[in-house]
Amino acid sequence: MESCVHCDETILIPYFADHEKEQKGPFCCQGCVTVYEALHQKGLQDYYTVKHDSALFKRRAPVEIRNDTFLYLDGEEFLSEYSYQLSDNQRSMEFYLEGIHCLACLWLIEKLPDFVSGVISSKLNLEKSVVVITINSFGKFSAIASELNKLGYRPHALKRSTEAQKFHRIEERKTLIRIGISGAAAGNIMIYAVSLYGGANEKMGDLFNLLTLILSLPVLTYCAWPFYQSAWVALRNKTLSIDVPISLSLILGAAMGIINVFMGVSENYLDSLSTLVFLLLLSRYFLKTIQEKGLSVSDLSYFYQTDSVLRQKIDDINIYEEIHSRFLNENDILKIRADDFFPADGILLSKETRVNNSLLTGESDPAKLYLGDKLFSGTQNLGADVLMRVTETNHNSRLGKMLKNVENGWGNISKTVDITAHISKYFTAAVILLSVILFTYVYYQFGFEQALIRAVTLLIVTCPCALALSVPLTFNRSLSLAGKNGLIIKNDKTIEKLANTENIFLDKTGTITEGKPRVSNFIIRKVTDSRVEDIILSLEQASRHPVGKALVNYVLPLRANTLNVEDRVEIPGIGVSGYINNKFYEINKNGILENGNIIATFCVKDIIRNDSKKIINRLLADNISVCILSGDSNNFVQELGQNVGIGNHFLFGEMSPEEKFEKIKKSSHSLMVGDGANDALALQVADVGIAVSGAMDISLRASDVYLTVPGLAGVEKSIVLARETMKVVRRNLVLSLIYNFISVVFVFNGVISPLMAAIIMPVSSLTVLVSSVVGTKKMRNLWK
Amino acid sequence: MEIMVILLPLALGLGLAFVFFFIWAVKRGQYDDLETPKHRMLIDEEVKLVNKRKKL
Repeated sequence: MESCVHCDETILIPYFADHEKEQKGPFCCQGCVTVYEALHQKGLQDYYTVKHDSALFKRRAPVEIRNDTFLYLDGEEFLSEYSYQLSDNQRSMEFYLEGIHCLACLWLIEKLPDFVSGVISSKLNLEKSVVVITINSFGKFSAIASELNKLGYRPHALKRSTEAQKFHRIEERKTLIRIGISGAAAGNIMIYAVSLYGGANEKMGDLFNLLTLILSLPVLTYCAWPFYQSAWVALRNKTLSIDVPISLSLILGAAMGIINVFMGVSENYLDSLSTLVFLLLLSRYFLKTIQEKGLSVSDLSYFYQTDSVLRQKIDDINIYEEIHSRFLNENDILKIRADDFFPADGILLSKETRVNNSLLTGESDPAKLYLGDKLFSGTQNLGADVLMRVTETNHNSRLGKMLKNVENGWGNISKTVDITAHISKYFTAAVILLSVILFTYVYYQFGFEQALIRAVTLLIVTCPCALALSVPLTFNRSLSLAGKNGLIIKNDKTIEKLANTENIFLDKTGTITEGKPRVSNFIIRKVTDSRVEDIILSLEQASRHPVGKALVNYVLPLRANTLNVEDRVEIPGIGVSGYINNKFYEINKNGILENGNIIATFCVKDIIRNDSKKIINRLLADNISVCILSGDSNNFVQELGQNVGIGNHFLFGEMSPEEKFEKIKKSSHSLMVGDGANDALALQVADVGIAVSGAMDISLRASDVYLTVPGLAGVEKSIVLARETMKVVRRNLVLSLIYNFISVVFVFNGVISPLMAAIIMPVSSLTVLVSSVVGTKKMRNLWK
Repeated sequence: MEIMVILLPLALGLGLAFVFFFIWAVKRGQYDDLETPKHRMLIDEEVKLVNKRKKL
């Protein structure tokens, strides 16, 4: 198979570019040809040199170019809300770019100042696909945006960062500083600790003890501050978190260290505790970064949003100005282009159109709407260009209200079982009880001073460091493993809930079925002058009807060619017709007709994925119940259920979003898979909500897991991964409890020393680290 | 052991210097984007030069 020169996609029909009287190519689509030509015109052909030997950063995709002017970017209102005024004549704005995938993209985007006038600088963040562009007074954001668009990177302006985001960035930097300081201090302390344990002479020993204390003070105060804070919050809420015993150890350890240094006693545990703080901070930081990586994907509120809309000018009804959908008002008259999404709720002012409601209601058949009918934001215009009057904007639209419900309910209904919190409750209680017993026991044998020292030592050495380390490490590994394979899991709590899944609820599209209608049973009844494939392609090429698109997709790989069509007519709801070589051809629900005689027949169906049945059977065998909740007709759902082996009373058709919500609310340990806005409430109320690839923004926000690869395989894998992860977590818990048990035995016998602590603590941490990284065999084989 | 009088402050001073350097770098935003710079440095300077020559 040949692959496209521009995007490396496999080519179905090759396109070529005429460049310097030579044919260049092949390309997979016209979009890639356009970009290739644009790059050469600007003398940027080095893009291909850079691309040639650069590693792929993200999945590439063919370029889809839409003609937009981006004029809304220059509006006063827009600039004041989206751009930063850097100085009198410098402004900057952030854009999210679609289609960023490799080093060559980075090269090209950062060359913007060389070929677009008025651009001062352009800095791209590859990971987030976000570019910051600074312009001077000669530059215009609309011009830059359309330039980027022409190169195949569709830009979406990003709102200025809020106070919360700024605060978040400062916090993140503080965490890094804490890690840096604790790491440096712990490293230096270790040097003195080794010489102390090695038997430094008395004078040097005192000096080293003092230095250890000085170095460990910032670690045990500034660096460990987050632990104290979270422990305090837990205590105030009358619960115990893992940070409570950690804080107790750190504070007592610091106190004992200070007293001992001034009393001239060389015993202290400051070295072990400093290292512990460093390791804990590090492991928590890793867990947090990986979670944020996942979150940022589902936080892309601009993903499926229509940015620009055409609004009729109030003083001149023939002029439409381009504005950002954010600044719509009630009663605005808008022109909605074909294939665009409606940006607000409103009333249709044109005679008729067809609308794709599937994302909002779950119904897959397009609805026909007439003059005066209500339109909802989030639905797609499948007809020609239409006019609408806005009745409800942004938050008041049906979609906006759903979004608000999702955001308000966020976290309210979570029934989490935080395993570490659970364990640490018993753990802390046990440790405190033990130290009381130890204190009384030693008090009657050796007196008060010895009793106090031993009790405090017990509290210090039983610091649950391995426990606190192992859990984030294990989750961290699973989250990144899942992320690498296209499962984006929101956080560690989701993994715990995933592992407990008992009831799965599926929405039809994108999971069991392909989600796109496909042609099946294509039978040629009569041989004609022109090839049937050519006739279909010629007639349906311009069609936007799902059936038409399915037919075009069917004939394209069959190397169909375009013929000359005269008098082409497309009647919505009926079909298309036209003259080819003086013969009259029609495509309608009966099939393909030549002068009224059927020459070919076909079926168009949303077909079931090959692996659906197999996976559903495996899940059922695993004692997980599987239900289908769909907005489609009962008959359709029944047929689907039979085909994949789900019993009749687990099939529910014609469900409204509210009914889905109720249904899931009643069941326990539920997992919902869906994609449309109609699933958002259900996704949110379910213990785990999984949004599949191509899902709408609103359902992404309501869900806990996002699958970048459609199909049930990801759902099954995430459950298996979660179960295996919990196994590792439990294994680590046992390991760290064993180490703690050993130190308790030592303390009871009065033979513990700081040296022992300095050995046991790192060794136990190392054991859980290895255990987390190794995982389980099943986990390693999941993506082999 | 007199050498310790020099070595100890030296070690501590060096450590401290690096900690301050690190804090300075973090505050300057050097650690905000850990992904792009490692790719950026792979772009050859030469490509840019060749390009400029062509323009002339």
